[in-house]
Amino acid sequence: MPVVPRPARPASLAASLLASLLVLTGCAGSGGPGGSASDDTPVEGGTLVYASGDAEPTCLDPHVGGNYPQALLAGQYLETLYTKDEEGKIVPWLASGAEASEDGLTWTLTLREGIEFTDGTALDAATVKANIEHLQDPDTASSTGYLAVAKIKSMDVVDDSTLTLNLSAPDSALLESFSMPWVAIESAQALERSQADNCAAPVGTGPFTVSKWTKQDSVELTRNEDYTVPVDGADHAGPAHLEAITWKFIPEAATRYAALQSGTVDMIDNAQPDTIKAAEDAEDIDHLDAPRPGASNRIELNSSKAPFDDAKVREAFIRAVDVQDGLSSLFFDTAERSYSALSSVEPMGYSDESAFERDPEQANRLLDEAGWTDRDSQGYRTQDGKRLSLTFPVSTNQSVPAEQSLFQQFQATAKEVGFEVKLDLLDLSSWYDVLGENHYDLVSAPYTKVGPDVLSILFHSSNTVPAPSGYFANHAQVKDKKLDALLEEASATTDADERQAKYTEAQKIVLEGHYLLPLYDQQNHFLYSTDLHDVGAMTAVASPTFHDAWLAK
Amino acid sequence: MTPVSSTMSSLPGPFPRGPGPRRRPGPRRRPGPRRWPGPGVILPALAATTACFLVLAAVVPWWLAPTDPLAIDPGAAFSSPSLSHWFGTDESGRDLYSRVVHGARPSLLIGAAATALGLGLALVLGLASGLGGRWLDAGIGRLVEVMLALPGLLLALVFIALAGPGVSTTIVAVGLTTAPGYARIIRSQARALRGSAMIESARVLGHHPAKILFRHLLPNALGPVLVLATLGVGQAVIWASALSFLGLGEAPPAPEWGAMLAAGRTYLGSAWWMTFFPGLTIVATAAASTVLGRSLQRRAVGA
Repeated sequence: MPVVPRPARPASLAASLLASLLVLTGCAGSGGPGGSASDDTPVEGGTLVYASGDAEPTCLDPHVGGNYPQALLAGQYLETLYTKDEEGKIVPWLASGAEASEDGLTWTLTLREGIEFTDGTALDAATVKANIEHLQDPDTASSTGYLAVAKIKSMDVVDDSTLTLNLSAPDSALLESFSMPWVAIESAQALERSQADNCAAPVGTGPFTVSKWTKQDSVELTRNEDYTVPVDGADHAGPAHLEAITWKFIPEAATRYAALQSGTVDMIDNAQPDTIKAAEDAEDIDHLDAPRPGASNRIELNSSKAPFDDAKVREAFIRAVDVQDGLSSLFFDTAERSYSALSSVEPMGYSDESAFERDPEQANRLLDEAGWTDRDSQGYRTQDGKRLSLTFPVSTNQSVPAEQSLFQQFQATAKEVGFEVKLDLLDLSSWYDVLGENHYDLVSAPYTKVGPDVLSILFHSSNTVPAPSGYFANHAQVKDKKLDALLEEASATTDADERQAKYTEAQKIVLEGHYLLPLYDQQNHFLYSTDLHDVGAMTAVASPTFHDAWLAK
Repeated sequence: MTPVSSTMSSLPGPFPRGPGPRRRPGPRRRPGPRRWPGPGVILPALAATTACFLVLAAVVPWWLAPTDPLAIDPGAAFSSPSLSHWFGTDESGRDLYSRVVHGARPSLLIGAAATALGLGLALVLGLASGLGGRWLDAGIGRLVEVMLALPGLLLALVFIALAGPGVSTTIVAVGLTTAPGYARIIRSQARALRGSAMIESARVLGHHPAKILFRHLLPNALGPVLVLATLGVGQAVIWASALSFLGLGEAPPAPEWGAMLAAGRTYLGSAWWMTFFPGLTIVATAAASTVLGRSLQRRAVGA
């Protein structure tokens, strides 16, 4: 009699699936140990365990490429020439000052003295020169830092603490650029190493140093025992209170929050709206909301090809989708709607609510006018037999689940007027590839930069051409001569009022051209254990620094 | 005739046709008062009901769930199960009951198509190996062993990495993964049948080889495999769900069980129903297919 061999058992698989579900839910219910601080005297020592939901950088040197995950980490071991104070003013940090010539083409930068890198070399004018050259070197493949220092044509070392910068055009955003971690200053000696070595452990002047990087797991940061705050008058000028930081990568939002709840990590970034809401009721978890400067989170409409080469179709899309309802329910009122190309922390942001009012009827009218009059069997509009279809690549590394759900809602509301939106969830490198190949109609890309000059990066026609890293930031592919001129003038002027007027004018052109759909500020929510004290110090791009922080444990 | 290869000698004889062996005579129960039917009856009945419901959901989802599974209603997001939303709603206010029902079609389709593909491939490999020469048998045997050596899901992931995610890729990936197991069974059946008296007589009678293959060999070799396939559909549904859970199956927001699980896991702490009901459905599907398969199996061997 034949015996049929036993197959793999689906039932047992199913059972283990159920079991793991139960374990997961069980975990989510338990809270961390409730520790209350005894007093305000900082405790020395201890290791902060930080869990980041951002993509793990491929290089720890923020000069290379230049994205936010790199800035988050680099803020711990690198410092910048300038920074932003609590009022949002740009103030000197490693530099002691900068002076522009009358025509704005020559800047004299002076440096503080007595600052040492963790490899023992001293900070001097030649070091700064080497750093800017490193950013401009095509081999470095910098995109963010490269654009920030693009106008520096040449540099002359006057003496150890004085550097002259010769610009190709006046740059009113220069000091703002110098405040960003992507233009942080590294040891010149360390920069001479191979790129692989420098990526693994950049050398800076910061309160921590990179001691070990276990790929796909964590970066170990150790206290710089010789650290002193470069500026005078700090309450706490010496080395950091924390002995070390373990910087983990936990991409899964629910896992990250569960780790915080259970006490295995002390702080998480990219906190999800539902967890922020839940944390409000948790006694042992605090919330830090720090919107990033630069651009707002927005959807850009690729105007370089059909169907969005027609402004009417662009406007129709913007009028068709429902942002507000989804925003309230998905983000639990933790995110406020934006009507501006710029972040709400940018003083020169210009908002226009009327440009983004939802109006499906007008959207239908506009599409009729644009010639998309027929509908196919599925209800999508067509023209000459071609469906009104939009490709929307979404980087899973740069968007939170709530945002992805919001995009799905856009897909549903856009369908009501006849747009087909094809959502494509991609990892970061595939997403870059798709953008590079111009295979997109809609895209949402965060761009963090200090100051309104981010407008030039996002909307100047020259930025439809890729930077050495292959990335270009003008995703809407706006090519408008008048806009280009305005952006150049705004960047050249030294007069604050004139600068504001020009940037406002430029933003009007962008909003009226229907190139983008602003959603909300770049969400930057942190949740941390109440055991962690004196959190809140930030770099100019709103990434936390832990020089003052301490753990009561 | 060719001797049965040594590896096969331990395997039992061919699948019987005609009247099966008699049940072992056991002590007969007296027809007493009505007894509660044992699990041997209830489980298959339950499984059959579940299977009927699933097939109905796959064929005519609109009968069971008239609500549009894609219709959003942000105002009603995260509603817990109620009379208006039996399974609650998801983060965009979509009705989860409707999504689960409409998710039956892609899931079962993937499960069935993948199993069919696996079987088809296995039939070619198994018959070629079982009926072909020694070299062919050895060659195919090694290939099947290599495929079996790799964990199934890994094989599927590798294939998806090469071919890119999507429904058809998922079908092929899961089909490829299940093929080697089936191929082995078909081979052993073919091997055993080849030496059986039935085939020998057919040969002696001068039947055409094709006729022998299709009339005698295939039906006998396929029997146990079809039973296995019933079990396999459940397995394939789980794999397909696993792949879409990882974001490698149908693109969101299509109602697909694995993708729904993935979407719900973010809100596991606050909206348990988003994962519970799709998860329960996957479990029920797999369980139903297992129970049905087992009972078919028992019937086939007459145990």
